[in-house]
Amino acid sequence: MATQLRLRSAKILVINLGAVGTEVVKNLVLGGINSLEILDDSSVVEDDFLSQFFLPNENVVGKLKLPLVIDRIKDLNNRVNLSINTHNISESILSEGYLSKFDLVIATELKKDEMIQLNKVTRKLNIPLYVSGVHGMLGYIFTDLIKHESTSEKDLGNQPRETGTKLSPSKTITKVELNLTKDKELVTVSDEFVELQHFFVSKNLPTQLNRRQMKRLSAAFPLIFSLFECKKEQLENMKTEEIVALLRDTSNRICDLFGIPQTVVTDLSIGAVLQQAYTEFTPSAAILGGALAQDVIQFLSGKESPINNCLILDAFRSEISIYVL
Amino acid sequence: MKSLERVLGPERYLRIRNTSVLMVGAGGIGCELLKNLILCGFGTIHAVDLDTITLSNLNRQFLFRQKDIDQSKSLTVVKAVQNFNYNDCKLEGHHGNIMDTEKFPIEWWDQFSYIFNALDNLEARRYVNKMALFLRKPLMESGTTGFDGQIQPIFPYVTECFECQPKVTPKTYPVCTIRSTPSQPIHCITWAKEFLYHQLFDELEDKTQDQRRQLESETLDRQEIDNLLRESNELAELRRMVLEPGSQFAQELIHKIFQVDIERLVNIESLWRTRKVPEPLDLLELQHELDALLQEPRSQTILVKDTSTWTLLENLYVLIRALESLQKRISSGEESCVPFDKDDEDSLNFVVAAANLRSVVFHIDPKTKFDIKQIAGNIIPAIATTNAIISGFLVLASLPFYDQEPRSRGDFGPVPQTSSTVFTSIRPNKYVTAAALSQPSPLCPACSLSARGILHVSQKDAPTLGQLVEIIKKKYGYEDIALILGKAKLIYDVDFDDNVDRSVLEVAGFVSGELLQVQDDNDELENLEFYISLGDKNELPELVLRQKVKEKEKVKENEENGTGELNNGALEPVEIIDDEVEEPPTKRQKILDIID
Repeated sequence: MATQLRLRSAKILVINLGAVGTEVVKNLVLGGINSLEILDDSSVVEDDFLSQFFLPNENVVGKLKLPLVIDRIKDLNNRVNLSINTHNISESILSEGYLSKFDLVIATELKKDEMIQLNKVTRKLNIPLYVSGVHGMLGYIFTDLIKHESTSEKDLGNQPRETGTKLSPSKTITKVELNLTKDKELVTVSDEFVELQHFFVSKNLPTQLNRRQMKRLSAAFPLIFSLFECKKEQLENMKTEEIVALLRDTSNRICDLFGIPQTVVTDLSIGAVLQQAYTEFTPSAAILGGALAQDVIQFLSGKESPINNCLILDAFRSEISIYVL
Repeated sequence: MKSLERVLGPERYLRIRNTSVLMVGAGGIGCELLKNLILCGFGTIHAVDLDTITLSNLNRQFLFRQKDIDQSKSLTVVKAVQNFNYNDCKLEGHHGNIMDTEKFPIEWWDQFSYIFNALDNLEARRYVNKMALFLRKPLMESGTTGFDGQIQPIFPYVTECFECQPKVTPKTYPVCTIRSTPSQPIHCITWAKEFLYHQLFDELEDKTQDQRRQLESETLDRQEIDNLLRESNELAELRRMVLEPGSQFAQELIHKIFQVDIERLVNIESLWRTRKVPEPLDLLELQHELDALLQEPRSQTILVKDTSTWTLLENLYVLIRALESLQKRISSGEESCVPFDKDDEDSLNFVVAAANLRSVVFHIDPKTKFDIKQIAGNIIPAIATTNAIISGFLVLASLPFYDQEPRSRGDFGPVPQTSSTVFTSIRPNKYVTAAALSQPSPLCPACSLSARGILHVSQKDAPTLGQLVEIIKKKYGYEDIALILGKAKLIYDVDFDDNVDRSVLEVAGFVSGELLQVQDDNDELENLEFYISLGDKNELPELVLRQKVKEKEKVKENEENGTGELNNGALEPVEIIDDEVEEPPTKRQKILDIID
């Protein structure tokens, strides 16, 4: 019940109501969050009807989005304090006064420089930040929750868990309490996070993956990071061959930077991402939105240890990997 | 090109736009799944569910609202999604039981290219699995409990079916633990729900003999057995009082079960040598405060405090209120019995309060109403986000099937080899695990024992039974066969040819939706199971039968697999042990013996 209590007191900001934003909002509102604000200054475009199911089924292209969806979201659970904000996003995400009103920020579909700027502010204000986005069958969740402790009951393993054990480079067991009558252990895990700007220059991958794992790495990883370097507007005005060349060139650089073999990115995967880039797709958004909302609920309740820190969805391979960057 | 077309690929997009799929179950997974199907543009979607919407559905089934309570789930979902049916998908809701062969005959099933299961019970899952086997259609199976969820694409006879892996049955507890020596909250909850509540308000069968036998198999303590049987008899007396309005039913019941019965138990010293002795409730001492609580109208609010642990007095209060309410419902003649239902407030309140009072007596920590509802309903709370994740994978995993042109029935091309089953496994370095699909198990009770297909029989021009036998033998290569209708009715074999000259339509039970089993008298070829469909043509399915895996080999395989069990519950009739026979009895013998 402590979970419910913390959920009922948390104030959450969701930035951009795209495909993932829609799924996250649905899940959090159903889950009984206390208060939720949606920040989105966009007007409806044709592609929004791919997956943004709060939109009315009529021609509203060109109209401001949030006023069109607010009633339907409220209808899900009227006990949630729901508010919308259509103020300019670029300004809002830099405003300390605005962001300090929230306990947690979830930003979707941001550009690289936007998320780094936003993260600078959330760090300063000590606010945990989730960032997520989707490119068709590919998607990501990045987390900077600063520092976090979580305690959960686990079944007793073959060997007792030990304080000081590193579960990953950024997750450490800090406390273990035995409950022999129930064959359980109460395990406390401490999570350390880094700022998002370090993600883009991380040298951590080769220390986590052996050579075989590196060779079998999903192309989704380098391609998602490549897309952060190619803006949507830029791709829209290019011919297919030009985009292929650009993606090849960029992904080679990204692979070198992260220490990933360039062979991971095949022509086939570039061809696929060509069709997927910056496109919303409901099943992927449902998975990302489900995982993100679940993690937020766990984070607020202090129970299961959260995603730390880079989750990559490759729906072609039914794979969701988490890396520590 | 539209964006959806771009993501899916233009050819696949077209196939999906023009196909028809079935979704069985419109609950937690169903709501999410339907949203995903619609937004992916599936041309026609049918949704089937027999349930109506309850209050407890609202917090995780996002298509339902307060005003929909008591409405049909399937009919409500198809209406609700019109709000965002941007792709103009055709939707049809069916309120009914998917196992109803009249409402959903096999021809109806045949219109779908894919079947999606979003079910919560084993029986319906098995049935849908069987339909998929008959029709050799791809089936997407799914399930979630708590944070765990799984999807499994099933390509009949090519990959594992739903029954290839034995399913775990719910845990049971020894009767003595439940009735005499509970030590955990679950024991008290089981006692309150399965024993006490059942004895008082549910439909009863006479099981006195069974009860004694089961008790004797568990304990040698005569005194304990006699005591438990006596308790049951006295409860039967009390049950009669339920029908007498105005009787002191509630008071007497509480006095008996929490005081008299416990005092008797305490006297059986053998039980308490290593256990803490239970402490009977002293009702006389509590009476005064209890009366005050009962007279105070505001006490009603206790009933809805479902997340705090009730005190001893509060539990007594709730129990009395629940008993009064249940007695009223039964004695008024409105209902002859009230089976336990976690969503029925009276029955839930009864079980919560009775379980907690018993916990107090046995020095066990009481639980909240919310917790007991989960436990008594055998539910690990369904988590909306798990359903959302799993429903995303359900649709993703179905997409490769539409990469290729439709092939002949049962031919799935290379898709099964590249498909995977996916389950959530949240770790520091991953969120889900995907695994390649396995081959069908040679021991599977559903897909290894027989081939399956639809037997079309013309109502105008039906064959005689003798003709049918000859056609079957010729088509599939059997030398001699036996025909069994339904579960165990033999209608033909070499020694039983009374019906051969009659039209099959005159054979009692030969109706649409019934199953007809063909068994090889020579035990060479596998069995064949037909789904009978009466219509306007005579037609047998195109099938190539596999050689039978001999029982001996199976036993060997079984031993290797470490299960050591023959056939794993393959057929309904129990196996007959006959020392005279050197060969293990064939299945036909088993069935015949049962008929005799």
